[in-house]
Amino acid sequence: MLRLLSALLLTLWAALAGAEALQQVPALQARVTDLTATLTPAQHSQLEARLAAFEAEKGSQIAVLIVPTVKPEAIEQYAMRVVEQWKLGRKDVDDGVLLLIAKQDKKLRIEVGYGLEGALNDATARRIIAETITPRFKEGKFYEGIDAGIGRIITVVVGEPLPEPASAMPDSPELLSGFGVEELLIVGLAIVTGGTWLLRKVFGRFFGAAFAGGIAGSIALFFVSSMFVAGIVGFIVFIFSLLSGGRSSPWGSGGFGGGLGGGYGGSSSTDSGWSSSSSDSFSGGGGDFGGGGASGDW
Amino acid sequence: MRLRLLALLTVIAALLSGCGYNTFQTTDEQVKAAWSEVLNQYQRRADLVPNLVNTVKGYASHEKEVLTQVTEARARVGGIQATPELINNPQAFAQFQQAQAGLSSVLSRLLVVAENYPQLKADGAFRDLQAQLEGTENRITVARNRYIKAVETYNVAVRTFPNNLTAMLFGYEVKPNFSVENEKAISTAPTVNFGK
Repeated sequence: MLRLLSALLLTLWAALAGAEALQQVPALQARVTDLTATLTPAQHSQLEARLAAFEAEKGSQIAVLIVPTVKPEAIEQYAMRVVEQWKLGRKDVDDGVLLLIAKQDKKLRIEVGYGLEGALNDATARRIIAETITPRFKEGKFYEGIDAGIGRIITVVVGEPLPEPASAMPDSPELLSGFGVEELLIVGLAIVTGGTWLLRKVFGRFFGAAFAGGIAGSIALFFVSSMFVAGIVGFIVFIFSLLSGGRSSPWGSGGFGGGLGGGYGGSSSTDSGWSSSSSDSFSGGGGDFGGGGASGDW
Repeated sequence: MRLRLLALLTVIAALLSGCGYNTFQTTDEQVKAAWSEVLNQYQRRADLVPNLVNTVKGYASHEKEVLTQVTEARARVGGIQATPELINNPQAFAQFQQAQAGLSSVLSRLLVVAENYPQLKADGAFRDLQAQLEGTENRITVARNRYIKAVETYNVAVRTFPNNLTAMLFGYEVKPNFSVENEKAISTAPTVNFGK
């Protein structure tokens, strides 16, 4: 009886687990990811080379993913999860395309990044699927279908004016979001020159300087929400106001003013938009997708 | 004395930067951006409807009922002023959502009706329109999901301590989120009728 019950529970659990678990999104390692062993190594590397050459020439990232199944999700949902993880296409250009094939489900989808929605619009994507890819898939010619489909996608994307591909690394990530360093320095200087005099009158040399540093740090934190930058600003102001006008204080250089703005750990880490152009390792460039594209079946 | 004053000022400075005001600004802006995208995609769908109706009319002009329903639902959607301020008014938000859901349901009925017309289905323009409509529906889903996430972040920021005190002070309120449109339809079991 007990055994029966436990067996029942086990099957129930297995059924539930099977129903609940979503398909994993594989890690992005190459432009062509085949989890079904449909492509031969030669075909694989041929596609890979073609897509790499296209990225070098145009800058857009096209990737192919072949999975056995996307169940229990719809192919649109799974495709969205893939591109949100992979981030194909360049940052802010958003020129990524994913060709997703769910072999057992007999479904496929072309997912198009924001930047290419104009050229590779839904109707065009549907036509590529219906006219070029699925007729070949029906005959079991998967490589030919993918290759021809990629060819048409490339033809469409080539006609779209996009920024030139970056030959070297793009510009360094912004340190301060929104505020330039110069602006911050000017503001800081105004505060220091105006405020320090008053504060030192009220609180004395050391405390006045510490207070000025604290205020400057807090203000910096308010604008850039980065503890690190705020700390530096606060410390600079502290030293500046401590040393300005007369001999140094008996307490010396205690790094006190900078740390006043504590309790706010929201350092904003900006996504550095690097797109690796080397052929051995491949990663997404930070492109965004909004759900454009088309699906089909065969 | 001086030290105590300093400590007090330290605490005040820390509170000012840690009160969550900045978080409100950031997340509020993200919510607005996400909402604009939702409106954008709904607008795109509404723009597709007249073309779609005309194409279907060419092959299935006697399907007057569903065609008028689509036109009416489209007019209802167009009648609502879809402004960014909508998100701060739960009532108008619900009304907007209802109108969009109405359009969704009649559009899907129109596509079902179209299935009965092989010539219509074979028409290239219709198939392109259908692909655009499907793509747009998918974009709407994506945009709504992103909006839901943005609102969640914002609402959590507004409701947690000590941010809720700041929120009260500056008048930041919890924003309405999308709910399941056909809650009732989902919870009632479908009836199968073999009579006909």
